[in-house]
Amino acid sequence: MTDTASATSHPRRPNRWLGKHSRQGNWLAALIIIVATTLLLLVTTDDFATPQNASNLLAQAMPLIIVAIGQMIVIVLAGMDLSVGSVMSLTTAILALDGSPIVLIPLVFLAAMSIGLVNGIAIVQLNVHPIIATLSTQFIVLGVAQLLRPVAGGSVPDIVVSMVTGSVLGIPAPVFWAVVIVAVGWKILHGSRFGLHLLAIGGGAASGQTDTAHNFGLNDGRNIVLAYVLSALFAALAGFFIAGRIASGDPGVGAQFALDSITAVAIGGTQLSGGIGGLHGTILGAVLMALLANGMNLANMSAFLQGAIKGVILLLVVALQSRKKMGL
Amino acid sequence: MTPILRSAAKVPPAYFVFVALLATLWITKPQLMNLNVMGIFVRQVAPLGILVLGQLLVMRVRSIDLSGAGVLLLVNYLIASGLLGGLPLPLVLLMCLGIGGLVGLFNGYLVAKRRVSAVIATLAVTVIITGFVQFLASGKPPGNMPDIMNDIYKVKWGPVPLPVVLWVTLTAVMSVFLSRFVFGKFVLAVGENPTASHFSGVPVERTVLIAHVLAGFFAGVAALVQSASVAVGSLRLGLEMPIDAVAATILGGVVFGRGDGGVWGPFFGVMCFAFLFVVMTSFGVPEPGKQIARGLIILLAAVFYGLSTRNS
Repeated sequence: MTDTASATSHPRRPNRWLGKHSRQGNWLAALIIIVATTLLLLVTTDDFATPQNASNLLAQAMPLIIVAIGQMIVIVLAGMDLSVGSVMSLTTAILALDGSPIVLIPLVFLAAMSIGLVNGIAIVQLNVHPIIATLSTQFIVLGVAQLLRPVAGGSVPDIVVSMVTGSVLGIPAPVFWAVVIVAVGWKILHGSRFGLHLLAIGGGAASGQTDTAHNFGLNDGRNIVLAYVLSALFAALAGFFIAGRIASGDPGVGAQFALDSITAVAIGGTQLSGGIGGLHGTILGAVLMALLANGMNLANMSAFLQGAIKGVILLLVVALQSRKKMGL
Repeated sequence: MTPILRSAAKVPPAYFVFVALLATLWITKPQLMNLNVMGIFVRQVAPLGILVLGQLLVMRVRSIDLSGAGVLLLVNYLIASGLLGGLPLPLVLLMCLGIGGLVGLFNGYLVAKRRVSAVIATLAVTVIITGFVQFLASGKPPGNMPDIMNDIYKVKWGPVPLPVVLWVTLTAVMSVFLSRFVFGKFVLAVGENPTASHFSGVPVERTVLIAHVLAGFFAGVAALVQSASVAVGSLRLGLEMPIDAVAATILGGVVFGRGDGGVWGPFFGVMCFAFLFVVMTSFGVPEPGKQIARGLIILLAAVFYGLSTRNS
């Protein structure tokens, strides 16, 4: 019978981790560039290998790693969250209000959750394109942050500062942050049914069908809303971390992070069209961005030029990805 | 939905908002309701209106252009810094239009040929241009604009300022271009269904590419008008403008792939912006309130269209 014939000559199963058809995307390139950049910085600069710089590097990379993991959750389902930067700004602004930390800290995450809910409901229930929905909430949330704190200033509760800059048993707090965040990210993306559903929804969208996952019986609406809520919560965590580092509120602190997080996710091999991506790739991408920033700082490069270079990197990475859809 | 409601949902929100804003202004600030003051208000949004002409074109072919901020900044810097000081002014102006077109061509190549997400591509172009210009200027405001540009900007015919005449003329040209030329039909077809257009022989990639080149060109024109409106060059100029352009376009009934509002819907979307910020200032709303208004307008207008197109 023809059925058995085709069953015996089934196509070679693609490697799950590496290669052109990997579900994880092409994360190897990011790793190679990281190794090369590290070697280059080790050889050319004296300040790079100091413990001080290493600790700085982790603390600098942390917010981007956190926000990029959240960004990746929505990118694998073929969405995008441009409001993460504003959520970070709002978080620092709320934490710098006068009030007890017992009130402020839950308030931060409540605010983030409701922003994520607005994004998700606008996209799922009200049929708004993800980029347009999050572009508009980006401005609304930024406006609220500026209302709360028009210029940088104020002071955040001591507990926030010590949770970020303190150390336990001689190990600096960012190390604990990194371990917890990676574990949570791993659980969400690779250790739960929800993570698998994200990939299924995104993979369907990338192949041009909008309702593939729905036809397989997935509750795609609920999953998409949950993904945007998680993305906003991760952004709030990143804002929390930054607030601890600068110990004050700043409505402009998140401005770069929307595009930077997308760059980090894309460098890590995650396809912006959805369905393909992995946590390790995103972390590598965020570390690579932090390494480049660190290297450019050590080389005393102008901050303006650094911004332009980050833009070029983003453009190169996305231009090299393949996508069927044209336009947005 | 009753037929009346259904046809009311087809009318772009811009017209309702425009009437509501005019009524608010008429009740609260009747002294502002004279042609000269109105002319000044409308003149302020002429650059935005010209930028919107390009924005509506790319949005109708399911793309978006946020690189207008970069073009504005670059043109402003080139004129004000005196970097092109040796060249005669008409040549400088022509070069600025050329820069707009080139940026548009680059966007179009990325979006149509490389299939890069248009938001990412055009935002990245803005980031690159902004970083580069600020690096060249080392963060300092560049210098003065030539006086003659500001003089031209201030010319009036009766109560109607010259920039407004330019804006209305360009809008009318665009309207004829889209309704009478084959390119307009291509734009319509690509917006309705890119795949079907492709198999019907419509040059989809070329249409998107040309739309982006035209959008870049209009950004160049808008940049010249905007530069003429200020006496001194600035590095913070117009970074909100592409967002306002998107908001005005959606408000005017043009969303991704659908052009119900035509060219005049977005025109009135821009007119709303002329009066919105006046009304808000007269009510004492602070600057962050305008950010919130920007976001809310985009969101509500997009929800309006999302709901009215969901069942089709």
